Amino acid sequence: MSFGGLHTDHRAIVVAAIIVFFVLSLVMAVLPALRQQAFPAPPGVTPRTGDAERGRQVYMREGCGFCHTQFVRDLPMDRPYGRASQPGDFALENPPMLGTQRTGPDLTDVGTRQPSDAWHLIHLYDPRAVVPQSVMPAYRWYFEEKDQAGPGDVVAAVPPDRAPPGKVIVAGPEAKALVAYLLSLKQAKVAP
Amino acid sequence: MTLIGMQLRNPGLPATTSVDPATVRVTFEYVACATVWLLVGTVIGLIASIKLHWPEFLPLAWLSFGRVRPVHTNTVLLGWSSLALVGPALYVVARTSRVSLWSPRLARLALWLWNLAVLGGLVTLLAGVNRGPQEYREWVWPLAVIMAAAVLIAGYVAYRTVAARTLPEVYVSNWYILGAFCYLPILYVISYLPFYQAGLGNTVVQGYYMHNAMGMWFTQLALGVSYYAIPRLLGRPIYSYALGVLGFWTNLLFYPLIGAHHFIFSPVPWWLQSVAILFSVGMMVPVWAGTGNLLLTFKGGGAALRRSYALPFFIVGLIGYAFSSTQGTIEAFRSANIYWHFTNFTVGHSHAAMYGFIAFIAWGVVYGLVPRLTGHEPNPLAVGVHFWLALVGVLTYVISISTAGVLQGFSWVAGQSFIASVIAAEPLWLWRTIGGLLMVGSHVVFAVNVWSMRPRAVGAPAPAPGMVRSTA
Repeated sequence: MSFGGLHTDHRAIVVAAIIVFFVLSLVMAVLPALRQQAFPAPPGVTPRTGDAERGRQVYMREGCGFCHTQFVRDLPMDRPYGRASQPGDFALENPPMLGTQRTGPDLTDVGTRQPSDAWHLIHLYDPRAVVPQSVMPAYRWYFEEKDQAGPGDVVAAVPPDRAPPGKVIVAGPEAKALVAYLLSLKQAKVAP
Repeated sequence: MTLIGMQLRNPGLPATTSVDPATVRVTFEYVACATVWLLVGTVIGLIASIKLHWPEFLPLAWLSFGRVRPVHTNTVLLGWSSLALVGPALYVVARTSRVSLWSPRLARLALWLWNLAVLGGLVTLLAGVNRGPQEYREWVWPLAVIMAAAVLIAGYVAYRTVAARTLPEVYVSNWYILGAFCYLPILYVISYLPFYQAGLGNTVVQGYYMHNAMGMWFTQLALGVSYYAIPRLLGRPIYSYALGVLGFWTNLLFYPLIGAHHFIFSPVPWWLQSVAILFSVGMMVPVWAGTGNLLLTFKGGGAALRRSYALPFFIVGLIGYAFSSTQGTIEAFRSANIYWHFTNFTVGHSHAAMYGFIAFIAWGVVYGLVPRLTGHEPNPLAVGVHFWLALVGVLTYVISISTAGVLQGFSWVAGQSFIASVIAAEPLWLWRTIGGLLMVGSHVVFAVNVWSMRPRAVGAPAPAPGMVRSTA
């Protein structure tokens, strides 16, 4: 097998490499991506706003997506997380956070599975207060430890032995936003 | 292969007098900066590892798991692995072209832009400034622009050096190295441009990007420098030059087709997943061609192998290449993917590849070439300590975390509650930290060795002129 002039022509090697890689990139990445981004969101699904959208920013900032996926496969073990994901499910997600690791459970439909904001607040302040074996980071920096709750304060009902003595745990704006985001994670109903 | 306490006097070793001091310096600067990022990146990785079995360890926002995880990956990928291969690659293009590096000053500029990007990435990601969990492209775009500029400048220096060669042929190392510098900018730009990345389009690009970063950048550079360093250290020609060229083309044709195998069973189009699985098998051609070719080059080189502290790193690296690539192919099969996907098995796989393959090749190249450049050898005993700590460390790491992955997968398939998979994995996470500790320890020894190989001030007694044998 001869490679002709390529052996002695650095320009030809580089041009060939660029063209082949570029064409394969178009075929395998750019064109399929263009098609995939065209899927419409399921009916009734609207973009997130307000606290839920701010909570999504906090979720990204903290890298939650490195341990929690947000997509359900058509496999028996994924049944507890919801129906199998469809392309339209991600139409309004920018970026979509499908993820590659499940160190923690999938969160596609966590707003349905765990609808209690009180639970989420405790869990974010101290995951091991509600799930003793959990290895999730405690996001205490999004809470304030106060002597007394003020008017309008949202208190996380942390068990007394999990909080500093004599203090109440008050959710900061990011904690409230994050809970709003988690509660907004509900899989849309679609025709099968 | 007696690695500890062997004598090392290789007639080819003394500094190659035909390499100009500017090329020597800049190559060494790349290696030194890479070493700093190796230490930083793996200490951060160790922190992340400890947090999985001791969640209350260092409970600070800037050091929470979700923030240090991308800092670890980006620092070791774009800082350590890239710079440790680009520096020697620039030396290889100059040596095999029989000219000085085209512009050591531009090469140095690229290095400092590179460092700036990695440092900026480290600080911004710890501060929580990112683009979401898009693996290895979490950096905000201004940092990506600096990174792209650095790659383009370094690539241009390599290209101009090869263009100025005094031999008619372009040596096979330079095919791989120039290829790498062509692919990465295309890959990087496509992964950052937003026009096709709304919704699931983003995920298609994610699979393409994270996969090709491995095969079209790190693998290319590692093979490129190996095709120079291994024959050079053995004093023998490559087993088959044509096989090297075949590896270049098959890698280019097959590798870009398999990115979607990271999203098997996802809503990404079924045809894309199936093509990815098919060519994951096709990938065995360049992988075994490359491994076989380079390992067969060792045939009859037993004497050199016994004398060299650098060559054992190549042996491990090449085995790591074949092992991790074959493992990747098997993981792509749908039947295996059911058990392994989303589990820690993936983490074991990525460390088998980036550490067992890429890092060991990078160390082999550094120990093999830098003493020839500077005329200063590390203590062979210390190199042996580095080798064994790193090898035992990575084996402990990969075996424990892969076992954790298998247990997670079984737990999920059995339909247990999620926390059962955490409980099953936790003892192995401790073992993973132990492996990581040995790995970090080996990096400290490596840093000491790099320091002892540093070029001394100009005017220091010049080493005896070396024989410049042409194996290239």
